[in-house]
Amino acid sequence: MNFVEHAPTLILGLPLLFAFLIPLLGRISKDMRDILFLMGLLLTGLFVGIMAYEVLTVGGWTYVFGASTSEPTNPITSYFRITFVADGFSVLATLTIALVALGAGLFSFDYMAGHAALDKFYSLFLLTLAGVNGMVLTGDLFNLFVWFEVTSIASCGLIAFTNYRGKSVEAALKYMILSVLGGLFLLISIGLLYGQYGVVNYKLLSDGIAGSPGLFVNKLALGILLLVFGMKASTVPMHMWAPDAYSESPGPATPLIAITSLGSLFVLFRLTFGVYGVNMGPGVIGTILIILGVLSMFIGVSMALVQSDLKRLIAYLSVSQVGYMTMAVGVALTTWTAEGINGYGIMAMEGGLFHMINDGVYKALLFLAAIAVIHATGKRDLNELGGLAHKMPYTTVFFLLGALSIAGIPPLSGFSSKLLIYQSVYLYHPILAIIALVVSIVTLAVICKAFFNAFLGPDQGQTKGEVPKGMLIAMGLLTVVLIIFTLFPHYVVAEIVVPAIRALGVIP
Amino acid sequence: MISWFLHLPFLVVGILVAIGLYTVLFKNNLIKIIMGIAIIQNGVNLFLISLAYRKDGVAPIWTSAPDEFMVMPTPHALTLTSIVIGLATTALLLSFVMMIKRHYGTIDADKVRRCRE
Amino acid sequence: MFILVVLIITGITYLIYKMGNPAYKRTRFKGQPFISGNAPFKDPGRMHVGGDNLFWGFTNALKRYFDPLVKGHTGIVNDYVYWFIVTMAVILMYIYVTL
Repeated sequence: MNFVEHAPTLILGLPLLFAFLIPLLGRISKDMRDILFLMGLLLTGLFVGIMAYEVLTVGGWTYVFGASTSEPTNPITSYFRITFVADGFSVLATLTIALVALGAGLFSFDYMAGHAALDKFYSLFLLTLAGVNGMVLTGDLFNLFVWFEVTSIASCGLIAFTNYRGKSVEAALKYMILSVLGGLFLLISIGLLYGQYGVVNYKLLSDGIAGSPGLFVNKLALGILLLVFGMKASTVPMHMWAPDAYSESPGPATPLIAITSLGSLFVLFRLTFGVYGVNMGPGVIGTILIILGVLSMFIGVSMALVQSDLKRLIAYLSVSQVGYMTMAVGVALTTWTAEGINGYGIMAMEGGLFHMINDGVYKALLFLAAIAVIHATGKRDLNELGGLAHKMPYTTVFFLLGALSIAGIPPLSGFSSKLLIYQSVYLYHPILAIIALVVSIVTLAVICKAFFNAFLGPDQGQTKGEVPKGMLIAMGLLTVVLIIFTLFPHYVVAEIVVPAIRALGVIP
Repeated sequence: MISWFLHLPFLVVGILVAIGLYTVLFKNNLIKIIMGIAIIQNGVNLFLISLAYRKDGVAPIWTSAPDEFMVMPTPHALTLTSIVIGLATTALLLSFVMMIKRHYGTIDADKVRRCRE
Repeated sequence: MFILVVLIITGITYLIYKMGNPAYKRTRFKGQPFISGNAPFKDPGRMHVGGDNLFWGFTNALKRYFDPLVKGHTGIVNDYVYWFIVTMAVILMYIYVTL
């Protein structure tokens, strides 16, 4: 069996398999359950690595289910089958997801140690992972809908896992209502497109749309798709579920829910570039994305400034970070012509996509450090916390690294991606660059507030000591990745981000 | 006459989705909100099914099919998937409401807002 | 390039370190830091200005911007759906007009 060729389906299949094995075999012993969970995560990560290596060295391929070979030998039949796309863009998305999932998974061993029904938690965790991977890997709208719903249900289960807290259930209910509505509208737009063109495959759809770009059906479906994935990616003004869900979900689930929203953003970009081609007015889509991005950046960071709950504060910051990527890719879309995106558009695209993988990593690190604080002290209100640096030096360093990165302080990786965004966006319109800079400064202020309150000041004896080793290892892993991104940003951009842009077919 | 008649399902779809959206937007009872979502769900399912319909079409089975119109197969598969997923989501939502009733003592959407702070 | 910068910074740090008084013995500092001449608090927690007080001046000066924003986040699920539908209507209208 050729594992490399089947890597895209194994990335999905392995988390699914282990998600159902864990409640079954986890009955044997607790160690068995933990080992299975770790194995599921590591194997998924391994196959993401294998797929990344193959795609980046040899080239991408389309995986077709049910065909005798995974090459699309007969285009007519193979396009009606289920297809997965293994290209540079999938590699970027799955790498981000796998890194964050690995960090959060390692973190959960010590964090969730006292909980009952842990096998269900692990199961939901892996189901969410499978759902997000499916969303970014799939090559047709039908599958997209299925994985969208898998992600929604599993992540809402994760949020409501601590169901002895009323707030968790409330956050889950709100997120679920929005997700279900989003899924229904997604179904309507799939129906519209299928009714017009008779296909659900991205490639055939984009051919069909290129043939008749002016149809009303296209516009309707486009608007709905933008909205649904914009909602899942928590862009303002559909962001209101995000602070609730992020702040009330149990510890290690928070980065995973953040990564579902990043995954939706990946899908949004794949749809706008891959399905709606250059003929469908990329300038208009770009303008919409820029407006959504600027709103997200500004309102997200403003709301973060007035929060006093540590996790809620970081949640609003993450809403504002999503704005950066949306704005950058929107700017890139406005420069898209038949020859591809050109000039500053390429830089904007590089900045936006590099910011996505960056943001996934440092946001997860920041969330995990905040969760470690909450775990150690039992408090989450910034008015009550203080002086933790005396007892928790490692967590302090991890939080500081993540915090400086999210604020875009020069040597850290957040700066390198933000610099690309500033430069390119300035060439589109200087006002946007000024807004981005102001938002970055306010982000620094917000981060100062959180760091100063929680960690600095005299020791108030709020914690007995450092958090358990397992949590430190998880945060250390993400920190190592962050430092690699910090030291070699040009390498990451050239080796991972540029193939992703190339896979979208917008640069040669 | 017949062609006019074929557009009728889409009118029903519009009415169902409108009723559902009205319920979700303007009713405060969480159970009613979920009922609204279920109504939209049924509207969308009807939309897909009526999309697939072809006049005088036969069932889309390739083997030994007569050389005639077939109804479109994918919307049927989508609808089946959607019905199954709809059942799961509705059950999950209702169980959330049950737990909220236990914790908060109310299912009024105006009062279920402790997440706000 | 980056490693060069790190090396230079390390060198400068070492030079400053060398300029220090080598006769100084590392001792436990017994004195109190000077805090604006007030008597220090008994409870160390009270010395820590924090929480919402930290940017009080900023948020209070921009009250007219922040207040509607905070009020807008009602936490009622109907409003969440309302924003979703309204944004959808606006964007669909925009696409219909411009595209």
